[in-house]
Amino acid sequence: MTRASFTGAALTVYLKELRDALRDRRTLLVVLFSSVLLGPLVLVAISGFIANLEARAERREVLVIGLEHGPSLRNFLERQTQTVKAAPADYEAQLRASKLQDPVIVIPPGFEDALRNGDAPVVEVVSDSTNRQAESGSHERATLNIVWRGLSTDLLEPLRVEERDLASVQTRSTQITGMLPFFVIVAVLYGALNAGLDTTAGERERGSLEPLLMTPPQRQAIVLGKWGAVASLGMLIALLGCFSFLPAQWLLRSDTLQAMFQYGVREALLFLAVLLPFAAAISAVLMAVAIRCRSFKEAQANTAVVVLAVTMLPIVTLFNQSGESPWQLWVPALAQHTLMTRVLRGEALGPEQVLVPLAVCAAITALGIWFVSRALTRAAIR
Amino acid sequence: MIEIRQLAKTFIAPGTGGPRFTLKRPAPRIVQAVKQVDLVAEDGRVTGLLGPNGAGKTTTLRMLAGLLQPDAGRLHVDGIDVATRPRDALARMGLLSDARGLYPRLTARENIVYYGRLQGMPRDAADARASELARLLDMTPLLDRRTDGFSQGERMKTALARALIHDPPNIVLDEPTNGLDVLATRALRDTLRFLRTAEGGRKCIVFSTHIMQEVERLCDTVVIVAHGRTVASGTVDELLAQTGQRDFEEAFVQLAFAEDLARHETTHEDAA
Repeated sequence: MTRASFTGAALTVYLKELRDALRDRRTLLVVLFSSVLLGPLVLVAISGFIANLEARAERREVLVIGLEHGPSLRNFLERQTQTVKAAPADYEAQLRASKLQDPVIVIPPGFEDALRNGDAPVVEVVSDSTNRQAESGSHERATLNIVWRGLSTDLLEPLRVEERDLASVQTRSTQITGMLPFFVIVAVLYGALNAGLDTTAGERERGSLEPLLMTPPQRQAIVLGKWGAVASLGMLIALLGCFSFLPAQWLLRSDTLQAMFQYGVREALLFLAVLLPFAAAISAVLMAVAIRCRSFKEAQANTAVVVLAVTMLPIVTLFNQSGESPWQLWVPALAQHTLMTRVLRGEALGPEQVLVPLAVCAAITALGIWFVSRALTRAAIR
Repeated sequence: MIEIRQLAKTFIAPGTGGPRFTLKRPAPRIVQAVKQVDLVAEDGRVTGLLGPNGAGKTTTLRMLAGLLQPDAGRLHVDGIDVATRPRDALARMGLLSDARGLYPRLTARENIVYYGRLQGMPRDAADARASELARLLDMTPLLDRRTDGFSQGERMKTALARALIHDPPNIVLDEPTNGLDVLATRALRDTLRFLRTAEGGRKCIVFSTHIMQEVERLCDTVVIVAHGRTVASGTVDELLAQTGQRDFEEAFVQLAFAEDLARHETTHEDAA
């Protein structure tokens, strides 16, 4: 009797698991919608918000209460090509209810006298800090204070321009597009999650693991085939996720954001290069965690730790004020996040940055596959 | 031909009971599932492995399948030692264990052909053999349906076809009639009778069960296992003669529960 070769058996298992997973349409659709489409959708939503801010900035309108107390302030604002409008009397209530989108300047009585006497007159800029849209204009308070302490506005203008130019266009855009790597990492995780559990704990729960292990192929061939299928799904999601941002770009409503968000085919390919080893490693980890579990549910509870770690690690970068540290490259998920952020910033990836995460992912993959094979050899039975 | 000699297996179960919320684990329990099982199953015969629940039947068959390593004893399949060449032994056996899960998103044919491929069969050959087995097991209309929603009987047929895909000379079935209705049981019995004949391939069939009627109706040889030991073997008639009983159930109880009956009587006498 002929016997399946090692690669033949692994390929048989791979094709079967892939077919099995691709028939699970409902799960695939959920992953596709929740993970792959979420990133672009959020990006488009943010672009809408920014476009709104830009439009308001272009209108150059200022809402003022007590215009009659400060004709010279009015004159100043109009010289800045701002349109000065009287604010509604119930501006406080309207701000609280978020009906008013811009902060309101309150000019107290006696403003002109104070100005004439050389005292620093107090001008209130009223906004509600829970009203994010009105809050965005509050930096003007500082500007006003400086102006009324007698500094020339001519001095002020170049100061502001200089401050903005400290950062390159791409660096500034990462403040907005910084969540992109996070979305694709989570997408890859969820892409591999279901198949990873189904081929291990699910198989045990169905009672199909024992018959499978009573066939001649080596355990390693079976595990390799299963891992290959899970990793392929994760990689497929990575591919879809990375390239879904390309069409999303065309939908960006904000011109500024569109100019800043430089995500082309080159960036997509670099993202993919970073994510493929991660998909391989996370598949092996999920399978290793799930193989000891007797049921799908138990496996879900156990893999929650992995899911939590992968989603929380990139947040480290938010708190890390010292910037990018070399150790970050040694931590999976965090390393991928760091590298993808670099790609978005337009910085080059050096050999160390590519090789260290690759080696870490390869080691994790090998360890995971070894562990699953060992678990199958030892505890084949329910 | 399947030969099992002096088989023994002990499990160490993690300790249970005792006070909880302590860091110290309770002492592990040692369970001697199989103490001394002997069985010889010839080609062209149906050999019944009969025993009460917990007698060690499933453990014995798992060792035969190479899923568990025996502590002592030898298992041979057509002269191949399971301990040293498990994969060669598996290629010569069709095994239907008590876990017979199918893949619900695959059709019956895909489930069956998958095992054929794992046994090293070319796709065409596995496909043709699946159709042939479907005719034998009277499940042709099921073949291209997904197995999700199959009845117990339909699942059993699919699992049996999957186990027989590579036309193995030895067939090992662990309690195959569990959960089957009368018609499905009869159909299975007919199939096994056919497989035993010359045109069916003179298969060596080992069949574990705890149901007397199954054994009486089907088995050429019976091996009775109790408390992890082979306590008797022979044809049904031989066992009846050995015990001097006319009813096979009485004979079985006498053979399988001799120890328990003796203990029961002693305790009664002590009480009196």
